[in-house]
Amino acid sequence: METTLVRTNRMSPRKLSQKTLSYTALVLVTLFISIPFIYLVVTSLKQDVEYNAWPIRFLPATPQWGNYTEVFNPRHHIFRYAGNTLFLALAGTGLSIITSSMGGFAFSRFQDVPGRNRLFSIIIALIILPGMVTVIPQFIVFSRLKLTNTYWPWILWGVAGSAYSIFMFRQFFLTFPKELEDAAEVDGCNPFRIYWQIFLPNCKPALATAFIQGFSGVWGDWFTPVIYLSHAKTTLPVVIAGAFKDPQGNTLVTVTLAASVVYTLPLIIMFFLGQQHILRGVVTSGLKG
Amino acid sequence: MSKRLIHLSRRQSRTAWFYVFITPWLLGLVFLTIVPVAIGFLTSFTNYDGLNLPTLKFVGLRNYIRAFTADKDAIFAFGQTLRWAALNLPAWMTLSFILALILNQDVKGRGFFRTAFYLPSVMPAVALVWVWRIILDRNVGLLNAFISLFRPNTAIPWLTTYALPGLTMIAVWTGLGWGMVIFLAALQGIPDELVEAARIDGAGNLQIFRFVTIPLMTPVIFFVLVNGLVSSFQQYVLPQLLTAGAQISGVPPRSVYLALTHVNLQFFAYQRFGYGTALLWLLFLAIVLITIVVFRTQRFWVYTETEE
Repeated sequence: METTLVRTNRMSPRKLSQKTLSYTALVLVTLFISIPFIYLVVTSLKQDVEYNAWPIRFLPATPQWGNYTEVFNPRHHIFRYAGNTLFLALAGTGLSIITSSMGGFAFSRFQDVPGRNRLFSIIIALIILPGMVTVIPQFIVFSRLKLTNTYWPWILWGVAGSAYSIFMFRQFFLTFPKELEDAAEVDGCNPFRIYWQIFLPNCKPALATAFIQGFSGVWGDWFTPVIYLSHAKTTLPVVIAGAFKDPQGNTLVTVTLAASVVYTLPLIIMFFLGQQHILRGVVTSGLKG
Repeated sequence: MSKRLIHLSRRQSRTAWFYVFITPWLLGLVFLTIVPVAIGFLTSFTNYDGLNLPTLKFVGLRNYIRAFTADKDAIFAFGQTLRWAALNLPAWMTLSFILALILNQDVKGRGFFRTAFYLPSVMPAVALVWVWRIILDRNVGLLNAFISLFRPNTAIPWLTTYALPGLTMIAVWTGLGWGMVIFLAALQGIPDELVEAARIDGAGNLQIFRFVTIPLMTPVIFFVLVNGLVSSFQQYVLPQLLTAGAQISGVPPRSVYLALTHVNLQFFAYQRFGYGTALLWLLFLAIVLITIVVFRTQRFWVYTETEE
């Protein structure tokens, strides 16, 4: 009894100081993480002259909500660029989800087929392969085929699916019981119907993860549209990276910041909706991959 | 008779179905990966400039030799990439690891912190760069304004001379969440019995950390390290957006003139497709070699479970 008493007395201040240290660190990191977000939003509400003044003031004198209406000024054609981006993101990701889940279904349910193992090691190799190895060679081929400045590359990338998504769908489908397809097969379902009517509707978390990953990939991609597309056909990231301009051609910094907020918002919303799946996906791909 | 010919055995039909399902991917593998990579490889032995197909010449290994001789920037860019990895990786990995350790304790609001720390990695590169441009700006940036509270009128050029530490800050800010989520999941996988057993044997917190936690975490540390190395060697977009005017033909300042920057400039600023692809394969080879070296060091520090 006495020893435990002494022990708790000695332990608690140490535990307390450890707790204080932990929470202090967490608060500091939270500040480090959140200040850039906060500073982006407050600066997007300043006038350019305010932004360029020294010493700086953290908050705007009066919030310039007009910066946000200026983003949608027809002069900047934001709806056209957003439309282009949305089309590429939805078409590419939609196609990729279908073909990748088909691939994942094949690799998880047809274990005994000749050539399967060799093909599966190619999938793994492609996941590890640094992306830069294919980007430029593909660009050389597409430009020779005169497919640059069209949306065809995105469609073709979509149809081909992604090795990473195939792997993810395979992992997901492996957890489905064998009886599920046996029963369907006895009922006379062909494999395509088993995939389409049983496996696909039952893998919503994998579909959500693949969709969010694919969509944010295209939505956030600056390099590909910049090398493939002319200005009229380009996407939002290219326009925002190049900054919004006033009619005289001067850069509008704070309006571009407002546009960055608008441009980021869909991804943040999507992240909050699919958070659980995304974080689990990060962990499984990280620890098993 | 004819019926028997068409009728496939179950095994054959399963094989057929398997290939039907993977046909889109297989076509992509051939036409979007194998063929382009082969063409890219052949290109590296030519003087291709994007247009000169009629006068295309085979130049042997000249492009590869050039990378080590005439082109001083190639070696410089590679060295700068090593410096970038040496600065970015330890900072990012240590911070993510410490964060995961803290969150692995019984702290209130773990879910909140986990989400909050992951949020920066959701932000697309272009928006990210605008945020950090207004923070790192030499004249009116938030960071210099903060430092000026202690040392008035500080004007550190974070986007030019000191772009490497600037870039590290951005990489840590965006990468923290990913590293933390991976490390945290691994920490939560450490069996409580092991920690309890060590405690019963009289081990203190530090000893448990040194002799139980760290060894059990080494496979994950290894995985994160390899991943981080490979992506550090492919860093291109952030410095290009941040310091090269968001132009593919723009040249970043020397401090962030990285390997892939140099490679891509060959294509998009100088139209040297032959030389550019040669540099690309050299960089790929370097990544493979470094990964192999890191894999070889595994047996000195990565703990693997042996069955007894």
